[in-house]
Amino acid sequence: MRKTLVIAKREYLASVKTKGFLIGLFLAPLLMSGGLIAVIGLRGQVDVSDKRIAVVDRSGFLANSLVKAAEKRNADEVHDSKTGKKVKPAYVIETVDPRPEELPVQRLTLSERVRSGNLHAFVEVGPEVLHPGTNREPARVSYHAKGAALDDVRRWLERPLNDELRRQRLAAAGIEEGRVQGLFDWVAVEGMGLVAADPKTGQPVEARKSSELEAIATPMIAVVLMWMMIMMGASPLLYAVMEEKAQRIAEVLLGCATPFELMLGKLLGGLGVALTGSAVYLMGTVLVLLQLGAVGFFPFHLLPWFLAYVVLAILMVGGNSLALGAACNDARDAQNLTMPSILPLLIPMFLLGPVLKEPHSGFATVASLFPPFTPILMMLRQSQPAGVPAWQPWIGLVGVMVFTGLLVYAAARVFRVGLLMLGKPPRLKEILHWAIRG
Amino acid sequence: MNMVELENVTKTFGPTTAVADLSLAVPRGSIYGFIGPNGSGKTTTLRMIVNILRPDHGTIRVFGEELRGPSTSRIGYLPEERGLYRRMKVREVLRFLGELKAGRAVGQEVDGWLERFGLSDCASLKVEALSKGMSQKVQFIAAVVHQPELLILDEPFSGLDPVNLDVLRQAVWDLRTRGVTILFSTHDMTMAERMCDFIFMIFRGRKVLDGTLSSIQDHYGADTVRIRADGGAALLRGLPGVDAVDDRGHIQEVRLAPQSDPQRLLAELIRRTRVQSFEVTRPSLHDIFVRIAGNGAKEEQHA
Repeated sequence: MRKTLVIAKREYLASVKTKGFLIGLFLAPLLMSGGLIAVIGLRGQVDVSDKRIAVVDRSGFLANSLVKAAEKRNADEVHDSKTGKKVKPAYVIETVDPRPEELPVQRLTLSERVRSGNLHAFVEVGPEVLHPGTNREPARVSYHAKGAALDDVRRWLERPLNDELRRQRLAAAGIEEGRVQGLFDWVAVEGMGLVAADPKTGQPVEARKSSELEAIATPMIAVVLMWMMIMMGASPLLYAVMEEKAQRIAEVLLGCATPFELMLGKLLGGLGVALTGSAVYLMGTVLVLLQLGAVGFFPFHLLPWFLAYVVLAILMVGGNSLALGAACNDARDAQNLTMPSILPLLIPMFLLGPVLKEPHSGFATVASLFPPFTPILMMLRQSQPAGVPAWQPWIGLVGVMVFTGLLVYAAARVFRVGLLMLGKPPRLKEILHWAIRG
Repeated sequence: MNMVELENVTKTFGPTTAVADLSLAVPRGSIYGFIGPNGSGKTTTLRMIVNILRPDHGTIRVFGEELRGPSTSRIGYLPEERGLYRRMKVREVLRFLGELKAGRAVGQEVDGWLERFGLSDCASLKVEALSKGMSQKVQFIAAVVHQPELLILDEPFSGLDPVNLDVLRQAVWDLRTRGVTILFSTHDMTMAERMCDFIFMIFRGRKVLDGTLSSIQDHYGADTVRIRADGGAALLRGLPGVDAVDDRGHIQEVRLAPQSDPQRLLAELIRRTRVQSFEVTRPSLHDIFVRIAGNGAKEEQHA
């Protein structure tokens, strides 16, 4: 163990004493927060130039209502009520008489006007939009623009169009709109947490409103932080071993310590690097939250789990990286094997969406109990407001420990054989053979 | 007592047998030279003694104990393919490797060796700033700084200039004087003759020579004649009783054919030219090496 600790100390100091580590440590959060600031800052940066929209109304009754709705919007929303500053673009509706006999030509002409910048978009309202039959084509309302899918104007048009259609349909049915106003009231469904008993009094405590910060931001921050720590601690090991092999240091070290001592020392060094990074980031997060008076959002109860998962994931991914690094001869080999070495980290990142959406589904449970994915996916589920059943993290932890133990054992065998192998890089079959047979 | 004992050791890599049924005993306090052509199994044998590689068959005992566990800290090892952390400072890397082996701080020993090798001024330099000779001396220090009882050096003198070579050779001598057992491999036969108490030659994974230089030479007998004569090698070739001629410039080393009489050769030479010197001697290690390895190569060509 003494030799392992000496190696771990060297590996740790060799990493943290570099300028790259210090720059990376402080640059990563700056870049990430910088990105967030940019998103927030750019949200207010909208194009306020007027948008001219041509309407080809083949129904004959919608164009005027759109003109009026646009005029009302321009009067109410385009300028800031306090400063008078223009904050949104005005919508200018231009009605165009439909020419059914030469519709394709008319569409082409209008499209050319959009292309040339004379128009922002044009809308074509189908002749049977008020009473759609089984054939939906004549009842279609189509919006043509350069970026129609994400266009705000398209989304705005839907409300005045549907308001007018509803009004017309009620009138056709002989119903006065004012009498059935409540018919169209929209009721939102409010997200709330579960009611729990007060641990002291046993009385039910009112449920808290579910916040998006808790449901999305906290789990995502926890997972991204974990991912960064694992990458910081484990990923560089592949290149470190490849370099030692290429620079002929490996055999000098093998003359001083066993391959297992060497590998374990490197893993512990990487672990130390990651835990240093974790400590800096976690303390930074707590300090920022204290400043903001939002320290209550910090999931302190998850801290032991976070650290346990980081430690195990680094041993798992680091062992994998060391074994593959020992199989490399040069930087090109290392580059090719970087992806396989971090696969246990990459795959769960692709599953974040479905697991975050339904953290208690069968899929999410099974995926988070699959040992290579447990650190990231279980952390994601645990940091949700509702948490997970108490047994699941423990089962997951035992699974990761067993899996990591086996992986490190196999990695040590590959490491021992691969470290002295020079020349042609081994094939996957050979690496598996070393892992099984030693 | 033997410091190292190998008994019927075999090591294969896939279809290749690197070392076959090798037995060897290295007495404590001796200098044991490993010679053999490239790829003959020297490095594999040394790696097995250091416990970097494990034999497929046979046993290896070091310090009287079978090697099973972690590599012992009582061994110092300088591999043939050697390197150091290029971005570490000289003193730092030596302290790291020494502490790794010795399990204690070795700062004083490091400074002592650096001073002895005239490298004190380089202690704070990064390894990448060193010349090849300096780097090789630093690597030697890394192998000995923890005061090993057994020192294994794989081609320690290759690529050194004469000054640095003398410095390292003297250091090896001094260690031997202090009782350290030394095994080293070399391609320099003169060096092996001058330094080694015992010489071991491995060829195609098998032991072909093992013993003192004198006993090895005795085995081959006094079949060599060193001649200095007008006419040089051209005159000697084709003479009756001459098996081979090694032209060394002013002196020619002649190997006599079996049962040949050196007196008859001398008489024939005197009849033909002026002979300046004529010495009947035993074959040099170089000559023995070439006879073994050369014959092997010829057999391979025939095959």
